[in-house]
Amino acid sequence: MCIEAFLLVSNCSEGLYHCVLTTSLSCCISLCVCVCVCVCVTLSRGCDTNRTLHWDCDPSTLLLHSEPGRGPLKLAMAKVTHVDFPPKEVVSYTKETQTPTMTEQKEEEDEEEETAPLQPEVEAEKEKPAEKQDEEAPPHELTEEEKLQILHSEEFMEFFDHSTRFMERALSEHVDVFFDYSGRDMEEKEGEMQAGTKLSLNRKFVDDHWSKQRVVTCLDWSPQYPELLVASYNNNEEAPHEPDGVALVWNMKYKKTTPEYVFHCQSAVMSAVFAKFHPNLVVGGTYSGQIVLWDNRSNRRTPVQRTPLSAAAHTHPVYCVNVVGTQNAHNLISISTDGKMCSWSLDMLSQPQDSMELVFKQSKSVAVTSMSFPLGDVNNFVVGSEDGSVYTACRHGSRAGISEMFEGHHGPITGIHCHTAAGPVDFSHLFLTASFDWTVKLWSTKNNKPLYSFEDNSDYVYDVMWSPVHPALFACVDGLGRVDLWNLNNDTEYPWRTADISRGGFSDLGAPGKIQEWGPNFWIQLINFFIFLDDYIKF
Amino acid sequence: STLTPFAEVEDTLKRIQGINGVIGTIVVNAEGIPIKTTLDNSTTVQYAGLLHQLTMKARSTVRDIDPQNDLTFLRIRSKKHEIMVSTDKEYLLIVIQNPAE
Repeated sequence: MCIEAFLLVSNCSEGLYHCVLTTSLSCCISLCVCVCVCVCVTLSRGCDTNRTLHWDCDPSTLLLHSEPGRGPLKLAMAKVTHVDFPPKEVVSYTKETQTPTMTEQKEEEDEEEETAPLQPEVEAEKEKPAEKQDEEAPPHELTEEEKLQILHSEEFMEFFDHSTRFMERALSEHVDVFFDYSGRDMEEKEGEMQAGTKLSLNRKFVDDHWSKQRVVTCLDWSPQYPELLVASYNNNEEAPHEPDGVALVWNMKYKKTTPEYVFHCQSAVMSAVFAKFHPNLVVGGTYSGQIVLWDNRSNRRTPVQRTPLSAAAHTHPVYCVNVVGTQNAHNLISISTDGKMCSWSLDMLSQPQDSMELVFKQSKSVAVTSMSFPLGDVNNFVVGSEDGSVYTACRHGSRAGISEMFEGHHGPITGIHCHTAAGPVDFSHLFLTASFDWTVKLWSTKNNKPLYSFEDNSDYVYDVMWSPVHPALFACVDGLGRVDLWNLNNDTEYPWRTADISRGGFSDLGAPGKIQEWGPNFWIQLINFFIFLDDYIKF
Repeated sequence: STLTPFAEVEDTLKRIQGINGVIGTIVVNAEGIPIKTTLDNSTTVQYAGLLHQLTMKARSTVRDIDPQNDLTFLRIRSKKHEIMVSTDKEYLLIVIQNPAE
């Protein structure tokens, strides 16, 4: 920007000096710098009148006035303000039409010519886009016939045969070597969201023939083959000619959608376990009170052994079965809802080895719905009952039977589980209970009141289980299809992770309820090993 | 014969496409022209062109190191996807999968 100052001095008859300072700007810019130049000049003319010349400070016109009647003009030093303006950028537009490829190439080449000292590599790169553009032209030339021709050719078949083999294997493998255990990469994605994002549905096991329309009553994992899972089902009301009780052994290792073994029996199966020291045997407790034994070595789907339906055994539904003991000394323990507890030898189910009535204070039979043995204990155990109370009991000794009653729940207890993680600290006195009263409670066998009550659920809680490896982690499921992972090291108010599996819309018969258990290899990469079974539970 | 009959090509491609997490499958010839695809045209052309170039570069890398060697499989893992390219002299089989599913 140039400031051109024009000094016009005009003489006028009255002796007034007019000085006009004009500034001209070559063009307008958004930034305006006000220039105020104040010069006070006092000029005196040698005449009888004293004149003072001074600038008018109005920037629009700077006039040098001279007042008559002043003495001789005196010049004095004045302060001048010096301002620098940077040269203005010239913005110019070139009106060129956008023409396709050929012209662009020409422009590129022009640029190359202009910037002479270019390395050959750069030139090569610029040639490649030209090539690429040539290559893209042919796709329009391949007709459907040509494509079919290629697809039928022998070389293609050979290629396809090999490639799809590798590809299918590669696609089916889900080994994620990039997983960051610190969760840093997940944090970027999640942002604020904490709950529910690391818990994901892994698989669903449904069999159209055997498990549809049936309720899942129990789950157990094979101690010998961690991928095998047995699920027991009750009757299918819409198929009265089918067997009432079904137990399916599912295989989690392979993607196949059919069960490994199908077992059934006459009465609805209410509980099922893998016999702990007999990997081939599956034990089921049924609605009729009968205990059945299936063997996967036999080719039969029906039980190889059954307990008698007599007063010596059970006459009420058996909700709890388990094999307790060591390799050399173990028993099958079963408890029915009338409070009868029997212990059996797996070799001979024709009569119980031992039986006991579980009564509290010699009068009240305990309607047992669930039982649990603490880690390493074969004598003492805890049971949950339909009236909402928890009882501790022991099998042998002078005070065999029910010892104490713990009250706390307001509804039938659906699940009870003693702490399982082995380690230097003994947590075996702790156990969890789940109930229809929407709560999960943490107890110690040393106190008859709950240590804590977890009240984040809004429906019947159907089951609760400790993690087999992490001492502070447990999970519960409720009737709304929600699975919660609680971490006692983190927070006792809210679950650490939660997942809603009802959104799959599986059951249109009502709110889905599931029993879930932890497998031995549960702790895998923060993504839960999760079994969801397509049915609802009835009580 | 151990070769796949033509009818099975369609089935195999459908099966691959049906594998959990697979977003798209493209078969490309030696010039980078897509022959079969499960994606839309513009995406197919883009993937085919780019991956063809990359495969050529990868192949030349392998062969520069050892002229007796050749590229068989290329696997590109990105934050969002995994792109798998199975290749021989003539063709490319490209599959894009979301490994998180």
